[in-house]
Amino acid sequence: MPRWGMVIDLLKCIGCYGCQMSCKAENATPPGVTLARVEVTEIGSYPNVTRVNLPLLCMQCNEPPCERVCPTKATQIREDGIVFVEEEKCIGCKYCMIACPYGARYFVEDTHAYFGEQGLTPYEKAGYAEHGKGVVQKCDYCRHRIDAGLAQGLTPGVDREATPACVTNCMAKARYFGDLEDPNSEVSQLVARAQAFQLSPEFGTDPNTHYLPAGRLVVAAEPANVVHKKG
Amino acid sequence: MLTAEQAKAKEPGNGKQDRWIPSSCSLCYGMCSILGHNVDGTLTKIEGNPDSACGEGRLCAKGVAGIMTLYDPNRVNVPMKRTNPAKGIGIDPQWVEISWDEALEIAVKKLKEVHDHDPAELFLQGTTTCASEMHAGLFTFGMAFGTDAVWVGGGGIHCGSGAHQVGGLMHASWSLVPDFKMCNYAIYFGASKGHSAGHVANQNAQLAADARARGMQMVVVDPMCNFASGKGNEWVPIRVGTDAALALGMANVLVNELGMYDRPYLKQCTNAAYLVKEDGHYLRDAASGKPLVCDEAGGGVRVFDAGLVEGVAILGTFTVQGVTVQPAFQILKEHLKKYTPEYCSEITTIPAANIRRLAREFGEAARIGSTIVIDGQEFPYRPAAAIFFRGSQGHKNSTWNCVSIDLLNHLVGSADNVGGALGFNPVCYGHPETGRPYYAPEPTPDGLMITGTWMHPHKPFPANDAAAPVSIGMREFFPWAMTSPFYGAADREEWWNRFHIQRRPKVMINFGANAIMSVGNKDVVADAFKDVFIISFDIFKNEMTDFADLVLPDTSYLERLFPSPNYPFIFNHPGSMGNWSWPIRQPVVEAGGQRRDFLRVMYEIGSRLGLLAKVNEAYNTHFELKEPYTLKPGVKYEFEEIVDKVLKNFFGEAHGLAWFKVNGVMSWPKKAEEVYWRSRVPVRVPVYFEIFQTTGEQVRKLAQEFGIENELNYQSYQALPDWNPCATHECRDPQYDLISFYYRDTIHTNSLTMENPWLDEAAQMNDYSYNIAVNAATARKKGLKDGDMIWVESSYKRKVKGKLKTTEGIHPEGVGVAALAGHWSKDLPIALGKGVFYNELIEVDYEHMDPGNLNMDLCAKVRIYKA
Repeated sequence: MPRWGMVIDLLKCIGCYGCQMSCKAENATPPGVTLARVEVTEIGSYPNVTRVNLPLLCMQCNEPPCERVCPTKATQIREDGIVFVEEEKCIGCKYCMIACPYGARYFVEDTHAYFGEQGLTPYEKAGYAEHGKGVVQKCDYCRHRIDAGLAQGLTPGVDREATPACVTNCMAKARYFGDLEDPNSEVSQLVARAQAFQLSPEFGTDPNTHYLPAGRLVVAAEPANVVHKKG
Repeated sequence: MLTAEQAKAKEPGNGKQDRWIPSSCSLCYGMCSILGHNVDGTLTKIEGNPDSACGEGRLCAKGVAGIMTLYDPNRVNVPMKRTNPAKGIGIDPQWVEISWDEALEIAVKKLKEVHDHDPAELFLQGTTTCASEMHAGLFTFGMAFGTDAVWVGGGGIHCGSGAHQVGGLMHASWSLVPDFKMCNYAIYFGASKGHSAGHVANQNAQLAADARARGMQMVVVDPMCNFASGKGNEWVPIRVGTDAALALGMANVLVNELGMYDRPYLKQCTNAAYLVKEDGHYLRDAASGKPLVCDEAGGGVRVFDAGLVEGVAILGTFTVQGVTVQPAFQILKEHLKKYTPEYCSEITTIPAANIRRLAREFGEAARIGSTIVIDGQEFPYRPAAAIFFRGSQGHKNSTWNCVSIDLLNHLVGSADNVGGALGFNPVCYGHPETGRPYYAPEPTPDGLMITGTWMHPHKPFPANDAAAPVSIGMREFFPWAMTSPFYGAADREEWWNRFHIQRRPKVMINFGANAIMSVGNKDVVADAFKDVFIISFDIFKNEMTDFADLVLPDTSYLERLFPSPNYPFIFNHPGSMGNWSWPIRQPVVEAGGQRRDFLRVMYEIGSRLGLLAKVNEAYNTHFELKEPYTLKPGVKYEFEEIVDKVLKNFFGEAHGLAWFKVNGVMSWPKKAEEVYWRSRVPVRVPVYFEIFQTTGEQVRKLAQEFGIENELNYQSYQALPDWNPCATHECRDPQYDLISFYYRDTIHTNSLTMENPWLDEAAQMNDYSYNIAVNAATARKKGLKDGDMIWVESSYKRKVKGKLKTTEGIHPEGVGVAALAGHWSKDLPIALGKGVFYNELIEVDYEHMDPGNLNMDLCAKVRIYKA
């Protein structure tokens, strides 16, 4: 059984909000619900300062506090590690929102229109119908894409259709997705790097979403075909 | 759900209600290739098209969010005419809905009047956001109608006249990028290439990210630590508008302190060896008129292309034919000496030691003398690039800022060589089956480079001789200007009167630009348009529409057909090795309301005006149509027929519109000699700009004739680059102690996307997008704190209000504002009141333009205080 995981390379991420937008487009989330989002901040003091773009989503923890506090077992962990909400069981108590240390959960009371009193757009009419009201929503690594892709014999993380929308769309190719149980997968290789880290490990949540740091030093290797070397 | 691949294999319109339709984005001029998911007639998703080099299946936030622009309930759906004759900011036009028949009748009547009286009084205005359609629709119409009064509202005059002029002159392309796949050291001057904005946004983002992960060192010179600087290995904060001083300081260190320059490159690919007389002009061969060169002993005098390369002199002083001459490079070398790092430090605030270090790092990284084998061919290997864009070029010293930065590439020989600074695709040898498109730079008789292709009818070089102006843009007098801000300038009447120009703009056709906001101070620009009859194609009513007399509901980019969104390849097609891709734009949904496509309507208007033959001829020119695909003079074509002919013209009978509707994009591999053409194509670029000096002499002579010699600034008309101050640097009023500037936000395209609620939501989550960035220590000194509402007031007493964001990531003298925000039109309810209308602070007059290329200066001397 695979265990799906994601690696986000902060060196490559440019904070473009493409993940936030592609998640919204894929999952038709209403105003205020950003299952994938980006936090932009800065570190350092002038002039030694840099921007930090931190893309966030559900960390898909192996030890998810949200799952433990759910009174109706609406929040569940699949065998492949994906943490999801079975909306029919969710009573909207919001315990999970308090328990989640990553702020990755959103309560959707009703599906408001982005254009307010001007009403729902045709896109919203089509998309919002698929979601419940009075329930909590969260990122589930686009499990509908993974499941549909696997059913067609596709490989999540390799084939676009079987891969979370935010990964597929990332314009800096900063996001990687795949099977963490497979030691040869790209994500396993990246997680094995000494620099890879999980967000807030002190919570003991053991996320399947990992990061590579922005500030790491990389030295360009010499191309093989330089024939007349100078400089 | 059909996969993209499955959908592509099926003929669209085959009865399926679930289709992925290949098309092209146009929420910025990057125009990445997309797939639109149409389910039962509703667009449910936009994704990148993985089959196209234009994005390779990825999209920025704006592209994904396009769905909410398409379905915005505030879209214009029916033609409307104004019933309130009074025009002004805040005045209700009192629109009345009319039929298309009536709308076209009004438009044609007005245009006929101006055509009969004086066609040059028609003024055309378009948006860069839809650059392809703008070029195809407005420029062809202008050619057919008989007017060259065209401006790209805001976009062109804010970023075009310097960056694209120098891109064309020095790289035969619209813009520059590092050769991301091979570059090891890139220094950015006020540019964000690869960080989510503008030309080739997606592909550059991928390439730049891969380059960083590979180890390319990125140094970013910018007043603000934002998109590119935030990703750089080093941010070099610089005083606003002083980039040329840093670049010239680095050039001086390379040439005069380190002796680090690529002699063979300078001899072969530039005019470094051309002998220059004491009057600043070339010494020419009496018979052929060609510039002369000599050997290092001053002998062997011959024309520049007579075969002397290795031993040609680029240094020294000689007497040739009884005249004292110096090679052009010798003069440049002497000229650079005044740019000591210490002097440049005073101008830029960058420590002299850092200027020396940056020069050394750049020079060493370029590995002068190295070569590399690619696809079996040996090329110079120069993995260092210096690039510029809107930040550095948006100043009064626009041309010289860009030239000074680009000079670094030419000194170390990295221009269009492996790993260096690449123009976007100046050479294309065509599709393997047809050999089209085919273009490459060619030399003038003087050996200097003319671009192989360009976005406008007139190439950036050679410039016309300066002449007495007769048009309202007066570009005859300013031949290096790609466009003219005079149409909306405060001193336009003064200038027209100086040249006794009787013409005035009478009618405007506007294609989607919001010039009331995008040019400069709104009152100045509004004054210029209040008496003009304006026919406006729009998808939204906005601040510009408030001045229109007729509003025509345009299709959005998702509702229309266009044959060539990414051609010419010099504009928004990825550089570096990889594939060529030619995508089309086609409707991914049916057009809603009574919307009609701008191009089709313009073609109809042209036809009704009796200009069909000329419009067809202009289309033939614009789309480079050759027999048997040319449009015939007397034939009125359906737009689909024109698109079909354009596609077949380039890709053969089998690859017309029917083929492209299904497949979306034609791709084929690039050749190494197309990408790294510099050492293969026999053209040279100037490191000594006799061409500008010559124009200056013509301008001065004309100015004498008009009695205005002392009214002009000649700083752009010399042979060598300098740093010259902006008006802001010369403002001595001590209470105005800061310099404001605007920058392109990643989440927004100019003013257009402010109305998109998904993008607005993201922008509101970002601390910088809608706020005014000021250095934290500067704010503290003024008793201001993060979140305060403040006024930014210019030395001309113009002011805007906004929320303060204190940051460590901005130069202590800088005031940074993102994008073009602060809409006040009630017809844009999402955008209304969001962000800061920076352009209020921009002066639109000759004093605030580059006197040569007329690019506007976009910084202002300001003070800030609590609101």
